Amino acid sequence: MPSFLLSLVIFLPLAGAVLVMLLPRGEGGQHKGVALVTSLLTLAASLPLWLEFHPGAAAGRYAFEQKAEWAPSLGIGYHVGLDGIALLLMMLTTFLGPIVILSSWKYIQSRVKEYCVALLVLETAMLGTLAALDLVLFYVFWEAMLIPMYLLIGVWGSERRIYAAVKFFLFTFVGSVLMLLAIFWLWSNSGPVGARTFDYVTLLSQGALPPDKQQWLFLAFALAFAIKVPIFPLHTWLPDAHTEAPAAGSILLAGVMLKMGTFGFIRYAMPLFPHAANQWAPMIGVLGVVGIVYGSFMCMAQTDLKRLIAYSSVAHLGFVMLGLSALTVEAASGAVLQMVNHGISTGGLFLMIGYLYERTHTRDLAAYGGLARVAPALAAAFVVITLSSIGLPGTNGFVGEFLVLVGTFTAKNLGTWQLGGFEFEKGIALSVVAATGVILGAVYMLWMVQRVFFGPARKAAQHGVPDLTVREWATVIPLLVAIVWIGAYPQPLLNVMKVPVDDFVQRVGRPDAPRARVLQQRGAGLGDAPPGGAQAGAPFRILPPRAPMFEQAQPVRPVQPDEAR
Amino acid sequence: MEVNWLHLVPLLPLIGAAICGLVGKWLPKGWLYAVALASVLLSFCIGVTAFSNLEGENPQIHELVYNWFAVGSLHVDLGFTLDRLSGALVLVITGVGFLIHLYSVAYMDDDPGYWRYFAYLNLFVAAMLTLVLADNLVAMFIGWEGVGLCSYLLIGFWFDDDAKAYAGRKAFVVNRIGDFGLMIGIFVLFTATGSVNFAQINAAPLTLGLASAAAALMFLGACGKSAQLPLYIWLPDAMAGPTPVSALIHAATMVTAGVYMIARLSHVYVSAPGVMAVVAIVGCLTALWGAVIGTAQNDIKKVLAYSTVSQLGFMFIGVGVGAFFAGTMHLVTHAFFKACLFLGSGAVIHGLYGEQDMTRMGGLRKYMPHTRATFAIATIAITGVLPLSGFFSKDEILAQAWHTRAFDFLTLTPSGESHLTWLGFVIYAVGTLTAGLTSFYMWRCYLVTFEGEYRGGTDVHPHESPWPMTAPLWILAILSVLALVLGLPESWARALHLESFNWERFTDGMFAQVRGGPPREGSLLLGFGIAWVVALFGGLTAWTLYKPGTSMTGDERFARAVPAVHRAFVNKLYVDEFYGWLILRPTWRFAKALWHWVDATLIDGLFVNGSAQAVEWTARSARRFQNGNVQRYAAVLAVGVAALVLVFLVRG
Repeated sequence: MPSFLLSLVIFLPLAGAVLVMLLPRGEGGQHKGVALVTSLLTLAASLPLWLEFHPGAAAGRYAFEQKAEWAPSLGIGYHVGLDGIALLLMMLTTFLGPIVILSSWKYIQSRVKEYCVALLVLETAMLGTLAALDLVLFYVFWEAMLIPMYLLIGVWGSERRIYAAVKFFLFTFVGSVLMLLAIFWLWSNSGPVGARTFDYVTLLSQGALPPDKQQWLFLAFALAFAIKVPIFPLHTWLPDAHTEAPAAGSILLAGVMLKMGTFGFIRYAMPLFPHAANQWAPMIGVLGVVGIVYGSFMCMAQTDLKRLIAYSSVAHLGFVMLGLSALTVEAASGAVLQMVNHGISTGGLFLMIGYLYERTHTRDLAAYGGLARVAPALAAAFVVITLSSIGLPGTNGFVGEFLVLVGTFTAKNLGTWQLGGFEFEKGIALSVVAATGVILGAVYMLWMVQRVFFGPARKAAQHGVPDLTVREWATVIPLLVAIVWIGAYPQPLLNVMKVPVDDFVQRVGRPDAPRARVLQQRGAGLGDAPPGGAQAGAPFRILPPRAPMFEQAQPVRPVQPDEAR
Repeated sequence: MEVNWLHLVPLLPLIGAAICGLVGKWLPKGWLYAVALASVLLSFCIGVTAFSNLEGENPQIHELVYNWFAVGSLHVDLGFTLDRLSGALVLVITGVGFLIHLYSVAYMDDDPGYWRYFAYLNLFVAAMLTLVLADNLVAMFIGWEGVGLCSYLLIGFWFDDDAKAYAGRKAFVVNRIGDFGLMIGIFVLFTATGSVNFAQINAAPLTLGLASAAAALMFLGACGKSAQLPLYIWLPDAMAGPTPVSALIHAATMVTAGVYMIARLSHVYVSAPGVMAVVAIVGCLTALWGAVIGTAQNDIKKVLAYSTVSQLGFMFIGVGVGAFFAGTMHLVTHAFFKACLFLGSGAVIHGLYGEQDMTRMGGLRKYMPHTRATFAIATIAITGVLPLSGFFSKDEILAQAWHTRAFDFLTLTPSGESHLTWLGFVIYAVGTLTAGLTSFYMWRCYLVTFEGEYRGGTDVHPHESPWPMTAPLWILAILSVLALVLGLPESWARALHLESFNWERFTDGMFAQVRGGPPREGSLLLGFGIAWVVALFGGLTAWTLYKPGTSMTGDERFARAVPAVHRAFVNKLYVDEFYGWLILRPTWRFAKALWHWVDATLIDGLFVNGSAQAVEWTARSARRFQNGNVQRYAAVLAVGVAALVLVFLVRG
């Protein structure tokens, strides 16, 4: 397995974008063709990542790691690698890539070339964000996501696209700037002048910062990610962005980009600052639950189809944040699984709504009705995706939601609340309130299905609505298969995420417990730093590819109770 | 006994559903019917084989299909257990299910969506089998929500009608309220026992508090699925679906899932005696409530729907007083006679080209002899005038309620002076009154539909249904009679050498014993006598009011005597309106207000766009200072200098 495989996957879409740029402007499908082939090649190239990934590797080891110098004097390196969580989201991204391009085949007729370039650049940026192991590299990819998405909304969006695009950009940018400051602080704290580093693995292995220093750093990171998720009350950019974006933009926004926020929490904000994260966890859980309930009520009040689904994203991402905050293995696994599920089901819903919009040119729910009679296949596919979205057992949505709820219910380390003489276990209270989301989800989603598909034919359906074409089937079937497959057999995904999730829960759930030394064979400068003191970083070098990819995990020494303090 | 073929029981109907749903539209009709029927029939045959293999003390057949998911301490398998209870239910589901599939071939033949219908129906059988066979709570939850999905799809089968689509959605959402409780109940049991498997949960010792919490929460789930107060409101509306669906899903199988679940978790429930009292009281009230509303309905399916609500209440009385065997026995007998009644009403509706209003029926015995005969047998069974199956199973429940010791040590107040020893008798008394009402409304339904003169339009020519419809009717009618062997009192059964069929003996050792001990001894014949008299009284009242030749005068007399009460009964006691006023409209208004005031005005308007406007305003104000006018700069400079000079002069 070549060591550049991961980089190949990351940059293939960018190469495709360059190729599209070189093509002459004009009508015809050549731009879309190149883009489609590129995204399919990316998908094909990412398959070995899935097949070769060794889920049993020790925590803190990254698969397909590649490291090169970039600006060594500043401690910036090109360092990429995958853990199980990043791998899952990466596969989700490459999986959605061809679907997105195929879905807009007919709808996008103006500035096709630029559109294809934006989509492909966006894919590279998202893949890079997931794979980056250097904070500067991460930040570069993170911000690079903004530009193509900004253009997708602003150029190919509907009526209020400029407002939505600017709002989207400003919101996310504000958060990111604070994160950048925090990244600089981490760098300046990482060692003496000349030996400072932005390398994530090194920073993590230096051990936790003093708890008082973690507070504002955590908040700076968390704000950037919270806006992206989005967590209530920072969510108001999302309905506007989703409503105005073209279908492809909405699919990528919901499918992958929102997950960058939750991924940021589980990869950066929480493990880097475990004491602060541990302290803030109940608050995050509360905000997650508020997101679930509040988002559901917002959905009930909507008359715009896309806006409704956008608010349902707020509710679904609330489940993810709740799962991350509970700090149990079950809940965190459910959260990661729910990230993937939300990409599939909400991405799928935006895909279907894109097809509806192409046919009827309206998003107004009042104009819909009776579509199941004229377009039965479209209705059937839509209903299946809806069922996945409301977490029906047997679909992917159930397993994720169930794990989050059961994991939160059993969480013992969140503490208790006092209320009127009663003492509530926070985990139980959060889980019970969150579970009402299961009822509310059914209320608004099935209401939407009825308003769109059932009843007598109304305005949108009167001139006939063609059913799904072969091209559209080609985009829908993979999603339906994924829904049923993950619902029936989620264990492969859970296995892949097990090691990083366990590590995350241990790291954040018990920040003071001594870490098992799993990194020591990495060589000088990468081992566990002695507490309190930063260690001189070794000069970066390209690591030779290893065969086999991983050593087996070292048996982790169980933490003795008396060591915990 | 570990086997590797039990999964075929639910898998075959699932494959049938997949074939019907995916390619059924293009299959020849005959093939599609063959696939749909054969999958259920094969499933039935496997069920019979498995059932006959059950031997020995508390026998069971188990199969671990695969590990569904395992994270941390949570292990969830897809595993199936067939024991005497789930085995008997498998036979009922596949057996009655097959008959209803056969019936549907004739009933749905003209509908263009027939392929869709059979796909949903097969899927339902698969989900229901998963529900009863599952060896753990989470796998049961697949079936539990799966049958809810099929119910949703089949109630809203004719989705062009907004009201029907709404009825389907209402069923799903109300069930989800129950499922919320069920899910939290699963969490509680998992926390308490560290497992979701029935075997481990029933073996684990539970504290009173945990058992009560779990039992109460899961009873909420049972209330949703089995249409008990206060969540029964979806079931009458569910009659919007095709009639065979009402027979299979909303009478014989799905709605009994709550009773099954409580019986399955009997050890949890006996550890929570207070919750058992609640179960019994809710069941008792629901039985009365449904029967009362049922007396004034004119839609033949609505009568049967409220009757189902009421009969489910009886089953909950059974499990609530600790007579799990009686509750499940009534479940089985009810499946036979209620399916027969519903299919009979379907045959009537079919023969009258869609007419459901009983005021436009009457005298149908002339035109539909088979339907009339089987409907009469099933009516006798449900009312318990003669010793048919319903008489024994219902009387067993009432006798158990009368004599139960389950509540003897319960007290209303913590001080514990007055014990609830009288509760069982109150439940018995109300249940007996309900039995009288049952007899009344069922005989009313029968008399108004089949006796007297035909009152429908002259353009409608009532006709008997073809054999695929009448054959299931006869089989179910015969089963409603034969099922009496399940409930024969032991002394009678021994005399007739039928004791091996006795349900109490059959399920012996499957259920937990209540803490108060076995029920008191009571006089068998006294109970039977009271039940007889009460049923006869109800029937005679119906006869005097609705006897042939009087048409619907009974309703008119009722309406004249107490108009307000009659109106309330006809309008189903205004429960839907009450919920609309109490929950639906306030929720919707709250959502609108929350969106408008909090989201759009406060968060997005004030904070987001407000901060943007603040920046813009500041910038615009600041811009005034830099307008490029040199004279103004000089003037400002001069004023500033003058001010500074003044300050220095004043301060000295």
